[in-house]
Amino acid sequence: MSAELLVESVSKAFPGVQALDKVNLALHGGTVHALLGENGAGKSTLIKIITGVYRADAGNLKTNGEERFFDSPIEATHAGIAVVHQERNLIAEFSVEENITLHNPPLRLGIIDRTERTRLANEALTTLGFEIDLNERIKNLSVAQMQLVEIAKALVTKAQIILLDEPTASITAGETVKLFEVISRLKSQGTAILFVSHKLEEVYEICDTVTVLRDGVSVLESKPLANYKQSEIVDLMVGRHLADRKVVIRKVDRQVNAVLELKNLKTSLGHESVSLSLYPGEVLGMYGLVGAGRSELARSILGLHEITGGEILLGGKSVKIKSFRDALHVHRIGYVTENRKEEGLFLDFSVRKNVSVTILSKILQKLGIIHVGKEDVVASKYVDRLGIKVVDNDQLAGTLSGGNQQKVSVSKWLAAETKILIIDEPTVGVDVRTKASFHELITELADEGLSIILISSDLAEIIAISDRILVMRDYELVGEVENTKDYPSISRSIMSSIHSGS
Amino acid sequence: MNVAHKIKSLVSDQRFVLSLLTVALFIFFGLKNSAFFNADFVIYPLIRDAATLSVIGLAQLCALSIGHLNLAVGRMAAVSALAAGAAYQYLHVSLLLGLFMGLFVGASLGALTGWIIVKSQVNAFIVTLAMDFALLGFVTYIYVTFTGATTAFTTKPAGMEFWRNTSWHQYCVAGVCGPKIFPMMLVPAIIAIAVIGFIFSKTRLGRELLSTGSNLRAAKLSGIPVDRRVITAHLMSGLLAGLAGIMLAFTNGSFTAAIGSQFMLPSFLGPVLGGTLLAGGSVAVLGTFIGTLLTLIIRQGLSVQGIGLETLNIALGLVLLTALSLGQIQKMFTAIRMRGRT
Repeated sequence: MSAELLVESVSKAFPGVQALDKVNLALHGGTVHALLGENGAGKSTLIKIITGVYRADAGNLKTNGEERFFDSPIEATHAGIAVVHQERNLIAEFSVEENITLHNPPLRLGIIDRTERTRLANEALTTLGFEIDLNERIKNLSVAQMQLVEIAKALVTKAQIILLDEPTASITAGETVKLFEVISRLKSQGTAILFVSHKLEEVYEICDTVTVLRDGVSVLESKPLANYKQSEIVDLMVGRHLADRKVVIRKVDRQVNAVLELKNLKTSLGHESVSLSLYPGEVLGMYGLVGAGRSELARSILGLHEITGGEILLGGKSVKIKSFRDALHVHRIGYVTENRKEEGLFLDFSVRKNVSVTILSKILQKLGIIHVGKEDVVASKYVDRLGIKVVDNDQLAGTLSGGNQQKVSVSKWLAAETKILIIDEPTVGVDVRTKASFHELITELADEGLSIILISSDLAEIIAISDRILVMRDYELVGEVENTKDYPSISRSIMSSIHSGS
Repeated sequence: MNVAHKIKSLVSDQRFVLSLLTVALFIFFGLKNSAFFNADFVIYPLIRDAATLSVIGLAQLCALSIGHLNLAVGRMAAVSALAAGAAYQYLHVSLLLGLFMGLFVGASLGALTGWIIVKSQVNAFIVTLAMDFALLGFVTYIYVTFTGATTAFTTKPAGMEFWRNTSWHQYCVAGVCGPKIFPMMLVPAIIAIAVIGFIFSKTRLGRELLSTGSNLRAAKLSGIPVDRRVITAHLMSGLLAGLAGIMLAFTNGSFTAAIGSQFMLPSFLGPVLGGTLLAGGSVAVLGTFIGTLLTLIIRQGLSVQGIGLETLNIALGLVLLTALSLGQIQKMFTAIRMRGRT
């Protein structure tokens, strides 16, 4: 018989919140089932109950006809369920190969069979069409590469039921295509696949059936996706009608001096000759495949890596930026990192302290004492301005949701009144509504005169808010597109510059 | 204000629980054996030791604030005491000048250690361990070279007797005298606690140190001069270690190579029991004093009961494990509560 997973009337409460309330979901072999909902709707909780991380308070779980909940993730794995979690569960110090075969390393006489291990890992990566050194340690990989390793890890278990929790959140379009090919193949072999994503375009491309969660309730249960329009699904997710955003073509004056100009910039990381200009109030999108060198370029400009040739000009003047500190205090450039938890926030600090970290010198009294009153005013200003949901400014940043954390990590740069802001993958793992508000915010900031470089692997995002789009491939700029915000034509020209000559 | 809420937040405050435990144990030991309440022979020396060990605890706390360790606190204390002792012996400087010279040496050693960590990018654990060995050799060599067989500087600057043996009850304001059980040694400890507490809770420097400890990469990306802060933290650590070393030398009445050799374990006990995170980013300055006091009361209390040293250490270890596990258990509950929000 083919694989089957039935979730029946499952409930789960955490102190103060009913995370799931009598949720039903029927996942059958040979189908791809979309599980949709905003952040906090209960998707991750449901997945954790299926895989034995949490215990359900009530309800049933039937796996291939057998009725039982799993007590631990290992039991779930043995029952043929593989999961790609939203938070990557990789061991940083282990190699790619070791991580891929972590749950079930091939043994011979009780000792790990290295040849077999390499073969398995290689097979999984080849299936994904993803090339990487099997002996590289996880900690040296980019976020996207880690995501792919995580997927490969699920593939090697040859599971009959695969749960994918936002597998495409941080990989590029090209890799997504390959992943979808793999998913289609698994589907044709009778595997049951649960697919969680915030990207509705992708959901429509790959999924057959759909379940929508809202505030822990399954408001749509295992229905054929084709019967619903995208707007109807969004309405079900958010519970009210979200008006389609107007397409606005902003006017950016490029006759004036560029605020930031790179002339034949060469870096120690491998950029040979990068030239670009950023104009006042412009949102300059930078699209590219993973490993194309976009974040690396940003970090080099900000002084983290060595510039070995060419010039950086700010307002027409050639400058040397020595460090992030220099970039912030002297040149007024900020960088919103793509790894908000690792580099963007102090998770065990309050929101107030997180916002003020860039402006400590401006809120001092005598003797280097921080004026807490002033600090609080600044924090409140940005909490209000960005609509950050907090109990008060003393709430710890680590207790906020992903979207709100991201807003906090942006706040500190706004508080520092930077003139140029480089924003790296701002909406990874953020739900539809928060994403929309983020896009509005970026446009608003640009309207106020902030010049923004937006690095994103989300094509829809780049096209929705950039004024101009640069395409980077292999540490080289290979295309520039004036954004008319006409999705089909713009995406086509971006894709053609990525693939031309390769 | 909601009274129930206030009580709840008080009970969840580690310092409050720790103080309660300290007072309870103090009374318990006193009731078991009234000799424990002897002001001159038990309480006074206990508080005097607590003063010195709190300062060494603060030295460790400074390194912990940025997520580092300083395994050389004891030896930095020894070198500072050596410098002060040599200054009294050969340069015949005043008490205060000798103290400053000793502190300067301690601070310099700390800053040097910090600088090596920054430049070499080697883990602080390794660097301070190496530093500890190097200084151990240095201290022994100097004492043997200069003092021969006695291996001690014994010149006592004017005023030293006063600091080591008098208590607050000799000071009276308007007929009200200080308590007899408070030694003068408490004064430098109080000053150190006040200054370090002020730095970490109120100032930019403190915030920058804690930011560095909380998340080094985020701090760097937010424009905080993390390299300089690493050096500052170790400088403060060396300075306080020096102070503790000199305080111990004053208490002992002589400057020897053995000073600081018993400092390493207590330097961790105070801050960690008080609630300082080993991973950095959060410190408990007052907690360090209470934590130190607690360990000394347990030690002293048990020894007054006539319990042998071995048993005593076992008991101390168990108490520490329990106290620290309580914090961990509390953290687990918080984590479970937080998971509900995802």
